[in-house]
Amino acid sequence: MPSSDSSEEASRPTKITKMDDSLDITSATTGTTEIPSYRPDAKTRRYDRQLRLWASAGQRSLESARVLLVGCDATGCQALKNLVLPGISHFTILSPNLTTSQDVATNFFLHPDSVGLPIAEQSVKYLKELNPAVEGFAKTEDPSSLLVTDRDFFTSFTLIIASNIQPSLELQLADLLWQTSASVGGPDIPLIAIRNSGFVGRVEIQLREHSVVDTHPDTTHTLRLDAPFAALEQHARSLDLATMDSMEHSHIPWVVLLVRAASIWRESHNGRLPESSEEKAEFKETLKKDKVKGDEENYEEALAQAYRVWGKSELPWEIQQLLNDDSVKNISANSKNLHILLHTLTQYVSAAPHLPPTSPSLPDMHSSTTSYVHLQNLYKNEYQSDLKRFKVLLSETLQKVGLEEGTVPDEEIEGFVKNVGGVGIIKGTPLIDSKMGQGLIVEAITNYQYDEYDGSSTCFAMHLAFLAAERFYASHKRWPGAKAMVNVAEDTSEVEEILKGVFGGKEVEDIFIECVAEVTRGGFGTLPTTAAFLGGVVAQEAIKLVTNQYSPLDNTVIVDLIKSQSAKFKF
Amino acid sequence: MAAAVLNGVTNGIASSSKIDSYLADESRFASIDKVLDRRGPWTVEEFVGGEGTKDFLRKQSKVLVIGAGGLGCEILQNLALTGFNDIHVIDMDTIDISNLNRQFLFRESDVGKSKAIVAAEFVMNRVPGVKVTPYHGKIQDHPTTFYQQFNIVVAGLDSISARRWINATLVQMAEEDEEQLKPLIDGGTEGFKGQARVILPTVTSCYECSIDMLTPPTAFPICTIANTPRLPEHCIEWASVLEWPKVHKEKKLDTDDPDHIEWLYQQASARAAQFKIEGVTWALTQGVVKNIIPAIASTNAIIAASCCNEALKIATAAAPYLNNYMMYVGNESVYTYTFEHEKRPECPVCGGESLIAEAKRDWTLERFIESLINRQDLQISKPSLSYSRGALFWPSPPDVYTATRPNLEKPLVDLLGEDEGIVVTDPALPVSVNISIKYV
Repeated sequence: MPSSDSSEEASRPTKITKMDDSLDITSATTGTTEIPSYRPDAKTRRYDRQLRLWASAGQRSLESARVLLVGCDATGCQALKNLVLPGISHFTILSPNLTTSQDVATNFFLHPDSVGLPIAEQSVKYLKELNPAVEGFAKTEDPSSLLVTDRDFFTSFTLIIASNIQPSLELQLADLLWQTSASVGGPDIPLIAIRNSGFVGRVEIQLREHSVVDTHPDTTHTLRLDAPFAALEQHARSLDLATMDSMEHSHIPWVVLLVRAASIWRESHNGRLPESSEEKAEFKETLKKDKVKGDEENYEEALAQAYRVWGKSELPWEIQQLLNDDSVKNISANSKNLHILLHTLTQYVSAAPHLPPTSPSLPDMHSSTTSYVHLQNLYKNEYQSDLKRFKVLLSETLQKVGLEEGTVPDEEIEGFVKNVGGVGIIKGTPLIDSKMGQGLIVEAITNYQYDEYDGSSTCFAMHLAFLAAERFYASHKRWPGAKAMVNVAEDTSEVEEILKGVFGGKEVEDIFIECVAEVTRGGFGTLPTTAAFLGGVVAQEAIKLVTNQYSPLDNTVIVDLIKSQSAKFKF
Repeated sequence: MAAAVLNGVTNGIASSSKIDSYLADESRFASIDKVLDRRGPWTVEEFVGGEGTKDFLRKQSKVLVIGAGGLGCEILQNLALTGFNDIHVIDMDTIDISNLNRQFLFRESDVGKSKAIVAAEFVMNRVPGVKVTPYHGKIQDHPTTFYQQFNIVVAGLDSISARRWINATLVQMAEEDEEQLKPLIDGGTEGFKGQARVILPTVTSCYECSIDMLTPPTAFPICTIANTPRLPEHCIEWASVLEWPKVHKEKKLDTDDPDHIEWLYQQASARAAQFKIEGVTWALTQGVVKNIIPAIASTNAIIAASCCNEALKIATAAAPYLNNYMMYVGNESVYTYTFEHEKRPECPVCGGESLIAEAKRDWTLERFIESLINRQDLQISKPSLSYSRGALFWPSPPDVYTATRPNLEKPLVDLLGEDEGIVVTDPALPVSVNISIKYV
């Protein structure tokens, strides 16, 4: 891509992107005489740049995802493009419409030749070209009647995108999916609903309950500095600093220095660690005294990391909250794997030392190779024994609810035990709440205050303008501002009145009037740039939902491309 | 049979006449015309609206797209659909299979061909009526006059040095002649994150002003690589930085050649085994030596859309353009941050003031140069330093290097007085930088 790559060859930056799918260090074998080659095949090469984000586990989920697009417009097709490229299993476009020249002018996945032909078939044709591994179908039936005659059709998908469809149809679809997802163990099908007009867009996600198996948190685990496991503490105390040569002394990893200093401190402080700021300063001073030379890098690192000693290795607050959830407390044969794992975690931390399992990973630090590898092995061994203990508890749990051993694959158990802090459960609300002005949006309306320096207050007003426009549609069967110039002012004042109704008929702040004006100005027509922006947002969210990695939007984002800003809300 | 042949023929005829009638149908722009005919509450003063606005967008404006890769493909699509009619695109790269997960104008059969040429052809076929002119080559090979013909420049690059170059070129053009002020819209992505910004050369902060916002590269000390490797990355760096030149002498490492990667992988694996380090893989080897940044279609879509939305707003005044920076973060829900990045008075490209470099009195020249290399706001790696008496230290050409190398060992105070100015050039720097020394 760059136009001057070659000039950089001489001074190639050494920025490292940590590989998620690098050979698992806990299972890697070393010292083998024959080195196996993992030279990637064509498929791995094609997907290389994305595998570095969601790894092979994420790719497998993506490759089994079936996505339905209801409504075939530019925004929906842009979203599909961004899902076909990374390789979902299947997509279907549902639309009974024939292609118009206006469709062609905004949608890259149509051609002037498409005019007059079924739009779903035409877009499927052009989208399928993007990736031969992806299956695509067009369905030209009317979505409203299909919702009556064939509900199973909709629930056969992993995820549904509704792009700029009639508000009533959107709600029926949302209702069907909400009800379908009600039963524990049943399909949980997220709905992503898109609305856009000119420079303004909105994405809403309805999910009943969503599990995240890896949020990819930035922070690493605590390394158990505050509560070292026996082997670690023993190792740290066994070092004889006095007899070491200066080379050896300056290559003791900072983790070992801190564990040792903390252990000695505890002995002289009734088992307590430094608490007050005086004690913390004193701890650091004591550590400094062990330096034999001024510039020992390992000591400098240890001093910089000393705060970790008074950090707590206990289960993160967010995870404790999850354990208190009913769906985790009371599990059954229908429970999801993550709930069963979390339930088992409750048992795990109830036993001494009441800490989450040890992670095998160790950050790089100033050290000799042997000291580092030795330390790394201590963590790996501890992880292995924690994993063993966890698996015993898991078998008991599975047996208790009548599930077979092996219900949760080993890979999933290991991933969970390594990264307990990186899981999450999101509980959503039904789409109808926000549309009907009930639930969480009520408080947002009551407490609303405009702030010109806070983009989210403009975005919230845009959301209400969209809601009012949707009610306009319900009574007029057309969008405000969609027709010729003359109607715009009339439509605008009618939408204003509807919006005032949300506030009980009172006068509203100017920002609402402005947002209504902007939304009717766009006339619910599609700008290709707005479509592409929203298509990108929708695809990112769909990928996160399908792979159960990273945290998805819950549940509404307004994109204001006039001011190039956005804001998210939970309604 | 005959019917099928006949059908094919009529389809061909239908196709060209369909394109003609499509192009004759001005109502096809109905959606976009709404915001071009109507004023909104935030529409800027200069907005004319109607035919004048549309005419400029569709008939007069000329846009340059730099890069036909992940962002470039998206940018070309968006500009063409938005109504820009005279689009030019430069890219020196050819298509690789690893591009196909996001660079959606390319197919497997295009691997090895020029990105700019394939992308231009694709867009012209899909969006009849639009003209896309490709240039397969480097941006640095075009003279300033080439850049003067455009109204707007949209850059979708993954190379820092190319960005620094085009930024400096456009700032210099605007400095010499106000009439030659060309808005530069710049996008960049990494994984689920990205940013779009609008640079008005000499008016707003420029790319160089924000160079210190780049994440500092993870540099491994050479002694770690050579003596105390701990990570698989250390073994890979050892193989590529130390072993390759030792074994292959003059033959340059080609990180696009799988056989070269294979060799590095084998070497790194052997070294890792020797040190009992685990985790060297083929993919990690490739990632480390090519400095691979994860890239996906959806993030490129968001950032390219934002860039083209700004181009549309600048060309039509239908809404105020971004002032001047938007970040998008998709890892954790959806988050954007829009702000005004401020000009840096000592920016080597658009600022007037010279940079001040602090130095300790006991430093050698070598130590001082090291401090310059470590500066986040310079981002240089092989600087040449000159002072009032000529070359102070130049790494090349060989004769000047030989003549100036002894200076490296000398105490800095013996070479430069307080507040004395030096001029620094570097392959990464698009301009020379004036630096004055301050002893602390």
